[in-house]
Amino acid sequence: MKEQKLSAAAKREQNWAWLMVAPTIVGLLALNLWPFVQTIYTSFCEHLGFGHYRFNGVQNYIDVFSRPEFWKATWNTIYFCILTVPLGVFIALLVAMLLNAKIKGRGFFRTVFFLPMICAPAAVTMVWRWLFNGEYGILNQLFGTSISWLTDSKWVMLACAVVAIWSNIGYDAVLLLSGLQNISKSYYEAAEIDGTTKVKQFFQITLPMVSPTLFVVLIMRLMASVKVYDLIFMMVEDTNPAVTSVQSLMYLFYRESFVAGSRGTGSVIVIWTVLIIGVVTVVQFLGQKKWVNYDV
Amino acid sequence: MRRISRITAVLLAAVLLLSLFGCGASDGKTHLKFQIWDVAQRDSMQAICDAYTAQNPDVVIEVQVTNWSEYWTKLEAAAESNTMPDIFWMHTNQILYYADFGMLADVTDLYADVDPGFYQQHYSDISIDNAKGSDGRMYGVPKDKDNIVLVYNKEMFDAAKVSYPDESWTWDDLVEASDKIYKATGKWGYMAYNDEQLGYWPFVYQAGGYVLNDDKTAAGFDQPGTQKAMEFYVGLQQNDWCPDQTYFAETQPGIAFFSEIGSMYLEGNWELMNKCNSFPNLTGKWDIAPLPKCPDPVSGDGRATISNGLCYATAAHGKTRDIALDVLKFFGTEEAQRIASSYGMAVSAYIGTEQPYYDAFKKAGYDIDIQVVEEQFAYSVQSVNNAARPKWKAPVLDELNKAYNGTQPLDVTLQRMQKIINDATAANLANR
Amino acid sequence: MKSASLEQSKKIVKVLTYAFLALGTIVMIFPFLWMILTSSKTVPESMQIPPTILPKEFTLKNFSDVMQSLPFVNLYINTGLMILFRVICAVVFSSMAGYAFAKLKFKYKNLLFGIVLVQMSLPSQIFIIPQYQMVAKLGAANTIFALVFPGLVSAFGTFFLRQAYMGIPTEIGEAAYLDGCNQWESFYKVMFPLTSSSVAALTVFTAVFAYGDLMWPQVVTSDVKMMTLSAGLANLRGQFTTNFPVLMAGSLLAMLPMIVLYLIFQRQFIEGVAMTGGK
Repeated sequence: MKEQKLSAAAKREQNWAWLMVAPTIVGLLALNLWPFVQTIYTSFCEHLGFGHYRFNGVQNYIDVFSRPEFWKATWNTIYFCILTVPLGVFIALLVAMLLNAKIKGRGFFRTVFFLPMICAPAAVTMVWRWLFNGEYGILNQLFGTSISWLTDSKWVMLACAVVAIWSNIGYDAVLLLSGLQNISKSYYEAAEIDGTTKVKQFFQITLPMVSPTLFVVLIMRLMASVKVYDLIFMMVEDTNPAVTSVQSLMYLFYRESFVAGSRGTGSVIVIWTVLIIGVVTVVQFLGQKKWVNYDV
Repeated sequence: MRRISRITAVLLAAVLLLSLFGCGASDGKTHLKFQIWDVAQRDSMQAICDAYTAQNPDVVIEVQVTNWSEYWTKLEAAAESNTMPDIFWMHTNQILYYADFGMLADVTDLYADVDPGFYQQHYSDISIDNAKGSDGRMYGVPKDKDNIVLVYNKEMFDAAKVSYPDESWTWDDLVEASDKIYKATGKWGYMAYNDEQLGYWPFVYQAGGYVLNDDKTAAGFDQPGTQKAMEFYVGLQQNDWCPDQTYFAETQPGIAFFSEIGSMYLEGNWELMNKCNSFPNLTGKWDIAPLPKCPDPVSGDGRATISNGLCYATAAHGKTRDIALDVLKFFGTEEAQRIASSYGMAVSAYIGTEQPYYDAFKKAGYDIDIQVVEEQFAYSVQSVNNAARPKWKAPVLDELNKAYNGTQPLDVTLQRMQKIINDATAANLANR
Repeated sequence: MKSASLEQSKKIVKVLTYAFLALGTIVMIFPFLWMILTSSKTVPESMQIPPTILPKEFTLKNFSDVMQSLPFVNLYINTGLMILFRVICAVVFSSMAGYAFAKLKFKYKNLLFGIVLVQMSLPSQIFIIPQYQMVAKLGAANTIFALVFPGLVSAFGTFFLRQAYMGIPTEIGEAAYLDGCNQWESFYKVMFPLTSSSVAALTVFTAVFAYGDLMWPQVVTSDVKMMTLSAGLANLRGQFTTNFPVLMAGSLLAMLPMIVLYLIFQRQFIEGVAMTGGK
């Protein structure tokens, strides 16, 4: 008797839940998942033109996996993530904490760090390209070096990574700041009375409490970094001799699908990219139990 | 507080609905969309549309501009869902892909009622070829024609006491002048950029070689003329008066030239008016000349420049096809082409309507030797293209870059370029 | 003695903090300074090599050039409407779904949440053509609706707000439930207000993302009067290929509405703490 009553409540809860997720799920299925299913299909086809396809089995996979520039692009993508994600998120957390602390000129500093978000990426890259210019750029004048930042295969990825971190600090810091602000002041007040040091406060209060947000930021930043395309394209055009040293997977996809019109092989690259993201994300979800703190 | 937010929500919903069903035209007229990619030509295109609608008041044509890269993404997506714009520009890079797939309306017999030989009589062979599909039918009405000129800085020539380039100039003069200018002023000589149309293509044809053979089924990088030109052009970078390709990746020749740190580069005539407008401070300090000729070509007289051209097209199965065809028919007439020329942005393709283009420079007060463009049409070569070009363009460039940065000898590079083009072309032919 | 060293270490922390912020400020602001300076140079000067720092002859002509070539009022309105609707959709739908995923038990929960995660891992380039065709078939190209279209639902927002709800103790919702609220009421009246600072962050995030979105608005609009600021700017690039001053002036003008929006939401950030302090 009692059990039945509970299940009626549970059923009501379930109906509510379905109702609440319905708009999002339906939208995602129609707008995003269906195109992806089509992409999976086209990866087994040769694109003849204008959306006409001919099934050709795993030929595209064989083609793509046997090309050295594909593996180079895979490595470039991973390298880009290694360069940008840990450092970028760390700086963003640092910035968010400083901007959350009671300091003089907080409003001013917040404005400064959030500025890059609202600047058109095309304008940002134009400016950075001037700064990085090997012959006449200000960076070389400043450091007294003569490095071809954008055309030397050793440096070009580093240059792109700097711009990526610069552009993304604002995004990540906004999200992290909101996480920090969700932490009740009373925890810190209690810690203060107990005489806990600031460093201890960070590890005992701040980090656990902000960890759910930090987790989202990490997931999102890694996904976005694996998918990087626009920024690299605007910094290094496909006529730049150093392009092979910086070409990411989605850059290769763009050249394959949109420039050369080979949507079949392009689809293979997309699926490969999604697989990488999937693996990385699953690892993060498994790892989150170790450090992400829910429901404190 | 909550009431206010509810009211706002209702208002917002109303606005969304309004914007959803936004302005529908209901004036009983036929509305056509004319899609182009060059903002600089918006005015000239609007002018020919106005000329048409003046005679056909029941038609309204709206010129819309989309950037080059998105233009093709969008046009292809639109073609797949049969929602193409009513009239649009077609480029030689793309026309074979669209025409061969039956996406474009056949306009071969558009003027059959007026004059069956209309195209042959009023347009050059190059213009007509640029508007043809692989089946030899015409899928666009020729719009304009262009070619490549040598742009040079007069002050630097004066400083080095070198006479200005003219039609007698050869490759040797180019090298000699570059050397002298570099020694006298420290400015770059000829900036030999790794580009197709604005780079090695004209040199290949000057030396009597070719990039694609006449029926466009095979590449010509195994030809002695082509090899001669490639050796010369790629070798230019070895001179200390020529920057290397990594330099151009950051500072394109045009930018270096108009920043007055380089003395010569190749430019398409379609850019000249823009350059005049953008750099009023340099007016009178620079001029244009015919491309230098090859002194000892394998065949021919050593002269060549590359000529390309756009055309006006409409969809094969568009809802407004008949009216659009009527508009295209007007766009190909002397009247429309003369109007388009007069804006100084592009030389109209209709023979006899070129002069207004040249006059536009004088009218604007820009004293450059613009007639050079006209003279060069006499020996210009059609821009290189076949249906497989989207597939081979980037890989060929990648190979050539290896020769430029010294990681692969030029002869090996040419062999590989040859193979890439031939393989892609053969695969494309097999699919047809 | 001990308190003195504590004082000292506090001082060092303070100095370090400000040093970091000052350095950060220079790095963050320098490109903008460069934009502002460039926007008041003439074209030849902007391309001069080596570049000048301060404009030799200060001109505002670039701004009037931009205003003439782009219908800025339309661009502001279109961008504003697009952002508004995308934000409303993201906040409403993602709050609902995020709450359900975090706090409710239902069948297929993991599967459905998997869909959300899969969407986040898909590169947006593969949606452009299919979504454009959907809009074209609906006959809605060149409308505000078309601009909003890809942002009707937000996987990221769902994920982000789910995290926010997971951070709220379940007892709070249960208490409301025992007080006689139904699921919807306990979500809407009790839980939703507790996530206000996360909602604010999502709002900013969605707004900034929509504002920066380039390829979609360019593909789905062909009439410059229906374009967003980013698409309009890209169009400008076609017109003034190498005219950096005009492009920079355009970029600066395009930033104005975002700065206004930011100033409005800045207060929200600061008050966010006070609002959620009750827990």
